[in-house]
Amino acid sequence: MTATRSVKLEIRAVGQRFERTQALSPTSLSVAEGEFVSIIGPSGCGKSTLFNIVSGIREPAEGQVLLDGADVTGTPGKVGYLLQKDLLLPWQTALENIVLGAKLTGRVSRDDRDRAAALAARHGLGDFLDVFPHALSGGMRQRVAVLRTLMLAKDVLLLDEPFGALDSLTRMEMQRWLLEVWAEYGSTILFVTHDVDEALFLADRVVVMSPRPGRVEHVLDVALPRPRDLGTFTEPAFVALKQELLGNVYGGPAAEPLPAGPWRGRS
Amino acid sequence: MNRAGRRVPLWVRGVVPLAAIAVLVAGWAAVVAVFGIPSYVLPSPAETVAAITADWPELSRGALATTQVFVAGFLAGTAGGFLVAVVMAQVDWVRRALYPILIASQAVPIIAIGAALVIWLGFGLAPKLVIVALIVFFPVVVNVLDGLAAVDEDMVDLARAMGASRRKIFVTVRLPATYTPLFSALKMTATFSVTGAVLGEQAASSSGGLGTYLAEQQSRLNAPAVFGDIVLLAVIGIVAFALIAGLEWLATPWRRGSLAPKRRRYRPAADPAQALDVVRAG
Repeated sequence: MTATRSVKLEIRAVGQRFERTQALSPTSLSVAEGEFVSIIGPSGCGKSTLFNIVSGIREPAEGQVLLDGADVTGTPGKVGYLLQKDLLLPWQTALENIVLGAKLTGRVSRDDRDRAAALAARHGLGDFLDVFPHALSGGMRQRVAVLRTLMLAKDVLLLDEPFGALDSLTRMEMQRWLLEVWAEYGSTILFVTHDVDEALFLADRVVVMSPRPGRVEHVLDVALPRPRDLGTFTEPAFVALKQELLGNVYGGPAAEPLPAGPWRGRS
Repeated sequence: MNRAGRRVPLWVRGVVPLAAIAVLVAGWAAVVAVFGIPSYVLPSPAETVAAITADWPELSRGALATTQVFVAGFLAGTAGGFLVAVVMAQVDWVRRALYPILIASQAVPIIAIGAALVIWLGFGLAPKLVIVALIVFFPVVVNVLDGLAAVDEDMVDLARAMGASRRKIFVTVRLPATYTPLFSALKMTATFSVTGAVLGEQAASSSGGLGTYLAEQQSRLNAPAVFGDIVLLAVIGIVAFALIAGLEWLATPWRRGSLAPKRRRYRPAADPAQALDVVRAG
């Protein structure tokens, strides 16, 4: 990434409280146009709270969300949002699920359906347009969910552990596919994950959050060359970054050997 | 489909239930013949059919009258139950207020309500209709409420994040989730409410329906006519159930296969290349 890119999304001292507990300390994060930012942290670190606020479906207790410089705090419908659950409507076909955004905000036009069908065809779902979700595999369902988000044509995508429920082979395939999609559309992506490898493989920057109260702990630049592929996982630079990130996430130097346990020394 | 996942041919699906009914009737005829049961205790199938044809003008009028009560009450109860469930799901205090009253109302024998209804509404169509509607009402409310409660709130959040209004979310996300439980309730009550129509007619007997006819023939110990009446009631129940099952089949295609029915499939644009241009432009 270069410093010349303009700021797409600015999270300005956004904080949230539920009852008396601070769910999210005032958090600031600035995301450049076309940047891919991974957010990693344990459960309860306020990632989902942050996403709900950025997507506009919850009002923060304090702070603002700016999109292209305009205040969009508490305004839904400005960014694309995708969760771990694919949340496809079981009574709609794959195609009708892809055009759900148009259906929810108005009428689905002939044009919307043609675009969705062409999009699906290009992303390996061409033969499954008229299939109900229960007949699709987990990877295909999540692909439909991603296409549903892309159809909204939003510049900013919030992806909340979208591949968390997939098996590791499908997940790796989906990660590579997401990078292709991202390269093609030039979207700005915020990506929540629990997986250190996934965070590094995808992102330009990794934000480490920690719980009670949720806050940003570290920010790590990932200066790995693109396009990235399977070889990226074993590059020395990747391994070094992973070591640093593991240390950040688990709060200690990752190079330190594991404590001796009862399973040691038996072999 | 059977357990091996193979499609059972249509004729097998039609023949098996019909054969089972034939066996039942044959068994009935055999029992009457073998034990020499007199027709005033248990008429044979032939005597029952004879009783139906002999009294056909009155029975057909009765069947029509009962069907009217049944259909009107069924529709009223379904519509009422559905609306009440929707309001209960949307407005928390209404649900809290109505739920215990609804449950208590189910503990009251329908016959007792029938007597009160006759006092209030007279001997016309109204009390019978209300009895049938009451029978349908409760299962519809409970099942539709369950369907609405089963909607994933994350799905609702997602729809909101897409900028959907409350009304759109209700129509697109919540409403279709009620179809399956609604049809379960309707299939169950299709048969109960025929009983309801009979009870209603016996409580408020003025116009001659099958319930009135049943009471009359019973008082004359006319067993063949009683059995003929019962057969017609059973037919009404079966037809009602079949109609609702058919409606369910049409309304919930995602439950019976993986591919959408033809009318719900995507018809591609005349020129696919043009569609791709649209994607690139969008």
